[in-house]
Amino acid sequence: MSRMKFYCDDYRCIDCNGCVVACKEAHEIPVGVNRRRVITINEGIEGKQKSLSVACMHCSDAPCQKVCPTDCFYIRTDGIVLHDKDKCIGCGYCLYACPFGAPQFGHEGIFGVKGVMDKCTFCAGGPDETLSENEFEHYGQNRIAEGKIPMCASMCSTKALIAGDASEVDKIYEYRTAKRGDNTSLKPYGWEAYNNGK
Amino acid sequence: MANTLGYGGMTNHLGDMQNSKVILIMGANPAVNHPVGMQHILKGKENGAKIISIDPRYTKTSAHADLFARIRTGTDIAFLYGMIRYIVKNNLHDKQYLDERVFDWESIVVEAEQYTPDVVANVCGCTAEKFLEVVKLFAENSPGCLIWNQGWTQHTIGTSNTRLGPIMQMFLGNIGKVGGGCNILRGHDNVQGASDMANLSDILPGYYPINEGSWKYYSGQWQVDYEWLKGRFKTKDMMEKKGFALSTWPWGVIDDENAANNAGTPLKALICIGNGISTITMTHKTKEALDKLDLVVFIDPYVNDAAVITDRTDNMFLLPAASQVESSGSVAATNRSYQWRSQVVKPLYEAKEDHEILFEFAKRLGFYEEFTRSLKNGKPSYEWPEDATREFNRAVKTIGLQGVTPERMKRQQENWALFDPLTLRGSGVVEGEYYGLPWPCWSDKHPGTPIMYRTDVSVMEGGMGFRAGWTDKGPDGKPVVVAEKNGQTLLAVNEPAGSRFKGGHLEITADNIESFGITLTAEEKEKVKGKNWKNDNTYILVNKALEAGLCPYGNGKARARAWDWADQLPKHREPLHSFRQDLVAKYPTFEDKKDHYRTNIRYASEQNKQNWVADFPINVVTGRIVEHMGTGTETRASKYLAELAGEMYAHIHPTLAKKYGVDNGDMIWVHGTGEGKIKVKAVYSYSVAETDIFMPQNFSGLWSGKSLVDKYPKGTAPYALGENSNQVTSYGYDIVTACPETKCTLVRIEKA
Repeated sequence: MSRMKFYCDDYRCIDCNGCVVACKEAHEIPVGVNRRRVITINEGIEGKQKSLSVACMHCSDAPCQKVCPTDCFYIRTDGIVLHDKDKCIGCGYCLYACPFGAPQFGHEGIFGVKGVMDKCTFCAGGPDETLSENEFEHYGQNRIAEGKIPMCASMCSTKALIAGDASEVDKIYEYRTAKRGDNTSLKPYGWEAYNNGK
Repeated sequence: MANTLGYGGMTNHLGDMQNSKVILIMGANPAVNHPVGMQHILKGKENGAKIISIDPRYTKTSAHADLFARIRTGTDIAFLYGMIRYIVKNNLHDKQYLDERVFDWESIVVEAEQYTPDVVANVCGCTAEKFLEVVKLFAENSPGCLIWNQGWTQHTIGTSNTRLGPIMQMFLGNIGKVGGGCNILRGHDNVQGASDMANLSDILPGYYPINEGSWKYYSGQWQVDYEWLKGRFKTKDMMEKKGFALSTWPWGVIDDENAANNAGTPLKALICIGNGISTITMTHKTKEALDKLDLVVFIDPYVNDAAVITDRTDNMFLLPAASQVESSGSVAATNRSYQWRSQVVKPLYEAKEDHEILFEFAKRLGFYEEFTRSLKNGKPSYEWPEDATREFNRAVKTIGLQGVTPERMKRQQENWALFDPLTLRGSGVVEGEYYGLPWPCWSDKHPGTPIMYRTDVSVMEGGMGFRAGWTDKGPDGKPVVVAEKNGQTLLAVNEPAGSRFKGGHLEITADNIESFGITLTAEEKEKVKGKNWKNDNTYILVNKALEAGLCPYGNGKARARAWDWADQLPKHREPLHSFRQDLVAKYPTFEDKKDHYRTNIRYASEQNKQNWVADFPINVVTGRIVEHMGTGTETRASKYLAELAGEMYAHIHPTLAKKYGVDNGDMIWVHGTGEGKIKVKAVYSYSVAETDIFMPQNFSGLWSGKSLVDKYPKGTAPYALGENSNQVTSYGYDIVTACPETKCTLVRIEKA
């Protein structure tokens, strides 16, 4: 069965923030709410500077869902983790549980009644009627329903950020690592490789 | 570069970088300035190419390089000569290529002799070991591509950088080669098109020199009387004289001595259309000039920052221009590819497209009919923008825009998917065309030239030699085309594949065409009498040459020596405000230059005025940040980009900051050598050298600690305001192009 995944190729990410702006423009997200961010570590240090784009990772066994007291999260059959803003009470437990800092709590604007959580939807809208005005107001565009990949990945300038079916994403990853020929596929995916000095 | 190879255009294209084995990026930061283009560099890396980044800063590009070398700003020539010296000493140069295709390369070897690894290390401030690592990696992998940007051009010696880069590449045989070349990445959308169309003060469209012959040629193209055209100018001399440059015009307003260069009068009015003039050095002088002018007009989709910088209260007009999505027509990409752009929406509110604004000017100034005559070209009306495109198809023969027709561009626009990104070659309905018909595209049958100066393919497949039209002063002092200089031939020894004429030859003229084995009928001879490939409106000369496999501009040698230049061979010269005062005597700058783009420019007198570094001990690098474009006028008005990069700053190394007692986040005053000062936030960064600070060039709206926000018309202030770094950039202009010196600036700082 297909399962939707993001993958950010740290060998390609150049910290241009194109994904961040693409996401915000597409869903008309208020300033201060960041469904997606680019993180750079060791800025300016030779051989150790790395950048990575991070959003909700749409976990298989999502911790946010586990801790939500109102059970507002649901995982679609394709693996996309969504939540129901009408059920959310803005307690913030999901933020504590999430290892990626994905849940956002805005202060104003369309998502913004303070306290209601907002996060990356993999551009798949939410529980409101698909492609309805209501869905857009609450969750933003539903590009998945239109057969398109998420806006961040489609606008990525170097195609570092890849989104789609896990097995397809995996193929691209394998192809690139094989071409690099330096066994990057065997290296740990994370900051350890850069923090401890290569 | 045009004065070395023949054309100034990027030789290869972005996709071709995926064919390189090594990519040297020097004076460029594509990860920030060309993020989409960076994709090709990273794919090249995945294909096994080694990436080398040479820069005063450890940039976002450097973070993806296999090898990084930090050098002092403005020392690229010493580095390049050092490379050439190493290449020749180790017999890594392509001698056959040099003998066949490069004039006087031997002199370069002699000049390079002094640049030993130790000298390079001393001048450039890197270690000799690091330098050797770079040159070995670059010279021992082939093909190698060289990328540069404004980090090379914006210097007093910028034109020497851009000559020595291609010369170094020719020593390795890398020009005219797949995966090689000199890939100059243009600063923004349609820069190449703007210079092709002569948005410059020293040429006519298509780089025709600004002389009587060209004006007469263009009178013909525009279908107006030459005498009428001449009557629009004060004198014939002024008609044929270079104008002010974007960098020098303020001196034409505020320095009375320049009036003598400008027909006896200072500049009185400025019309600024689509240009962020606050990205030019010494903005405080720009302000002084704007304050003094009689009339100022800004034509922009957003409020031009300069309109806010000036204190004037009258005779300043802002005309709203349409944005790119509200207009249509051809735009030229960095690699000389022309693409068709369609109008997405009609201009909103009272905004008008640029050409409409210019037409309204022409109507009121009384020459609308003449202005649009060649657009109509005999028809009762014209179709915009197609007829403007057809006008340059007819007129611009020098760079071969004949084949770049609206019909072909539109067909390509509808068939993007049919082009191969690595070769640009089309298939199906666009078979036999390269994407964007990169110039020279000699005829509507020609496919365009994705990679220039290739001799392994025929002219009809995009092959060509180097230019064969170098000129020298004739007996009457006027330039004449020459075939040899100093007893050496300027013609190539080889020829493009399939050429019916063997060896080099001069540009095609009616007089010489038959000596290349081409025959013309009596009727054809009559039609082309006295003409050459650049001014023959019948295209007979060009088409006959193409049939015989000959390049219309000839088949010559690139020249390592530019005998008509101040520096015949590129030379390292210290910046006017040098961080290394001890090297100034050994590598002094030029003599002062009178009437340089109508301005008397100081070189030696500025350099020797004082020991600058004693009072201004910090080197400044300025540049763009990825969130903002140019002056940031448009991008700082985007709330999301303003959120990401909303504040002006100076990157400072913690070691340097400690000397001044500056904590991360403290405000500092930065004082320039030219009296300007700005107050910015100090941000600790390891990306800069311990001697340098880096500042973005994209901010405006704060002025020496004061906010200018009240000066914006209601509702037009951008979200992000900041001090303009160009208030502290130093005086200095390129010796040939007058490009401003933005990269070698000295300042002093103090905690605010």
